[in-house]
Amino acid sequence: MAGAIIENMSTKKLVIVGVILLLFQAFAFMVGGLIAPSPTTAVHYLATKCVDTVKHRQESKWFMPWGPDQCAKIRSFDEAMAKKIEANNIVFAVHIPLPHKEMSAWFQFMLVILQFDIAFKMYNQIEDGALVTVDVGLAYRDDTVSEWTEMAHSFEQRKLSCNFTTTKTFENEGRYYECDLLPFMEVGSVAHKYYLLNIRLPVNERKKVNVGIGEIKDIRLVSIHQNGGFTKVWFAMKTFLTPSILIIMIWYWRRITLMSRPPVLLEKVILALGISMTFINIPVEWFSVGFNWTWMLLFGDIRQGIFYSMLLSFWIIFCGEHLMDQTERNRFSVYWKQVGPIVFGSFCLFIFDMCERGVQLTNPFYSIWASDVGTELAMAFIIVAGICACLYFLFLCFMVFQVFRNISGKRTSLPAMSKARRLHYEGLIFRFKFLMLVTLFCAAMTVIFFIVSQVNEGHWHWGEHTVQVNSAFFTGIYGMWNLYVFGIMFLYAPSHKRYGDDNSSGQCITGDAGANSGEDIQLTTTITHVEGPTELYRMTGKGAQE
Amino acid sequence: MAISGSMNLKLVCVRRPVCWPYGSVLDSRHCVFALTLLTLLMQVVVEANSWWSLAMNPLLIPEAYIIGAQPLCSQLVGLSQGQKKLCQLYQDHMQYIGEGAKTGIRECQYQFRHRRWNCSTVDNSSVFGRVMQIGSRETAFTYSISAAGVVNAVSRACREGELSSCGCSRAARPKDLPRDWLWGGCGDNLNYGYRFSKEFVDAREREKSYPKGSYESARLLMNLHNNEAGRRTVSDLAHVSCKCHGVSGSCSLKTCWLQLADFRKVGDALKEKYDSAAAMKLNTRGKMVQLHNKFNAPTSHDLVYTETSPDYCLKNQSTGSLGTVGRLCNKTSEGMDGCELMCCGRGYDQYKAQIVERCHCKFHWCCYVKCKRCTKIVDQFVCK
Repeated sequence: MAGAIIENMSTKKLVIVGVILLLFQAFAFMVGGLIAPSPTTAVHYLATKCVDTVKHRQESKWFMPWGPDQCAKIRSFDEAMAKKIEANNIVFAVHIPLPHKEMSAWFQFMLVILQFDIAFKMYNQIEDGALVTVDVGLAYRDDTVSEWTEMAHSFEQRKLSCNFTTTKTFENEGRYYECDLLPFMEVGSVAHKYYLLNIRLPVNERKKVNVGIGEIKDIRLVSIHQNGGFTKVWFAMKTFLTPSILIIMIWYWRRITLMSRPPVLLEKVILALGISMTFINIPVEWFSVGFNWTWMLLFGDIRQGIFYSMLLSFWIIFCGEHLMDQTERNRFSVYWKQVGPIVFGSFCLFIFDMCERGVQLTNPFYSIWASDVGTELAMAFIIVAGICACLYFLFLCFMVFQVFRNISGKRTSLPAMSKARRLHYEGLIFRFKFLMLVTLFCAAMTVIFFIVSQVNEGHWHWGEHTVQVNSAFFTGIYGMWNLYVFGIMFLYAPSHKRYGDDNSSGQCITGDAGANSGEDIQLTTTITHVEGPTELYRMTGKGAQE
Repeated sequence: MAISGSMNLKLVCVRRPVCWPYGSVLDSRHCVFALTLLTLLMQVVVEANSWWSLAMNPLLIPEAYIIGAQPLCSQLVGLSQGQKKLCQLYQDHMQYIGEGAKTGIRECQYQFRHRRWNCSTVDNSSVFGRVMQIGSRETAFTYSISAAGVVNAVSRACREGELSSCGCSRAARPKDLPRDWLWGGCGDNLNYGYRFSKEFVDAREREKSYPKGSYESARLLMNLHNNEAGRRTVSDLAHVSCKCHGVSGSCSLKTCWLQLADFRKVGDALKEKYDSAAAMKLNTRGKMVQLHNKFNAPTSHDLVYTETSPDYCLKNQSTGSLGTVGRLCNKTSEGMDGCELMCCGRGYDQYKAQIVERCHCKFHWCCYVKCKRCTKIVDQFVCK
């Protein structure tokens, strides 16, 4: 039978395909670097201290920090102390966004980080393991005049981890503690134009609520959202990539079904890879612009998770199917040992994600890191996932090593073959190695760009132009893996030559049957059960039997 | 002169950092002394105005900013021509420049509270009096901390969306609009604060030109250098905070932002630079070079000075020194706040002062303190 396209295509055509893919790759990077703005933006807010003058709290009362119906404010807590205002009557109000701006559904998500400015006072220090209890309400409205509608309300606890870098003396009173950032809120869709946060720090001495938390001077929030421009570029990219992958996938499967034999495992896995890529590509996010779907963030995580585990499984199976030993593979169950860690690891991450982002669907202020049990649980999931990842990479590296060892072992027996046959096998080995290298290259690129985008401040200046490194990273890497999947489906599709001149490659093998017939009889008769998509299968199968 | 009324105010200013935290313990003898000082100060020549006076200006309240309120800038004393122009262009910034100057001065007074020169302000538009006319270490510190104060205040205001011409602004910048489509450009607040501060604070120096090698040109170079050092300290101390929010909270998506350091830290850093400031002189080509070239040359982050500090021990009208007479000192301390050094060997008077303190306090995070009142008698030492 004939092999895959990668074997039968001439080097010239292969180079052309490679260059075209590289061009698309460069284009993907450029779209991110030159057109898109930076992926996310952080905006700072300083909470306004409002005074709730009403003795008995009304649930429906919302406090605006500025604008026409703004609340009664105090500038500092000394003022509050003089006016004998109680803690329970102070409301920290934050309006998102800043004045004269409005939020948009293109922001996709919004997460808010909480920071306390706590001044050091000798007689009022932060106790060890101090917990802050916040009573927080979130409201929205879509125009500047209507009433606020409550979106969420919750009592939350956050652990203060602050340290004071200088000596604790009277001299240093008034300096600020250095406090860790606290996760505060996460919403999976920004469907409204204006948001309002009202935060209270109620004090209850008997129940030890908000006691020993130091002298809080201010509350600062940082809200992070995806930039609208980036979202648009991202959606455009997904919309463009979906049909490309879908078309090549259909073409690929049609070729497989046209063959007389049933598809082998590797072919199925490649199809599954294509499906998971399409799944991640389908731009369902377009709906999030029109609908208030808060689960989109979680859904996106799940889609990414499926793709990553599919890709990792593909590599294992790809290596395993090219491994030259006697064991009969071609069954998924053979790989349970290697695929098991992937499935288990992704399952752990899925559970973790459900615990964090899943719960946030109902309570946007929930954070698994806020409680001790939650932190331990989350750490446990992450550690288990990390161990699984390590295990997986050990397996993978071992298998890749085996494949290369077997190939070089095969190489030594090449000179004994006839010239045509030798050239053919040498080409096969070269192309197989080439694909392995492409995979390595893609992985390395991902890691390198990841590091660059982490280390870098986010943009480079080139004279007049600014290159958004972070955006280039996202679009480039996303484009790269799409092209990778595209390339695999194209190159590993069964070759045309099978239908046209079935004999050509067959002749190639039978042609030199005279020279070493025994070997080739084996090759054509006993190895038929490992009929893989590539001729390499047969070669490797033979190598294993030798 | 019509400033006598406010002169009193100044004297309180001088004393406040010293008396703190004991409260007002000045007895009548000192008030008599203060009056004599006041009459002496009446004769002080009017010094050069400075933008520092924005820190004291009651005009700089937010309500005064009505669009097109042109007269404001001409009413502000102490601005140079270039600064007045900038004021007209960026009226909404003026409040924050005033705030920045105020934080700078306050920090200066904190850092120098135990020194003979304690950064005291005089009540006219020169703000610090004649001492600033000497290119001393103290002058270097004052210039740098006030420039740093402006960077700090403008960046903060920019970040909070209060200024119309920077990053997260109320009005979008048309030129950068395509880049921050659907607002992406809130990142460079510190950069904006730095640039604006450079433009505004340095304007005064830049619009002057002196012959090469003259005393004034040395001062000009020194001021520019110290302003820059102050600004750089703010941006050096700003730290990056990041939040990871990728898949499952991983760092595949990370957002970072710059956070300004507590201004006290900027003060600490500049005080250290004050202690290691480099003495400079002009060379024949009119460039600043180090006086002692065996030391490492100062970088743009270091402070430089050209003249030795005047004697701050005694009051001197020509240098503007206020003297340390009447300052509180610490008898047991060996350092600058010790009576020996503070009083310059003139000796000190000892008083028994009764201090009513709050003690055994129980605090809550806000607005509620329950304290006992403790009275104690302490010895206080005041320089002769």
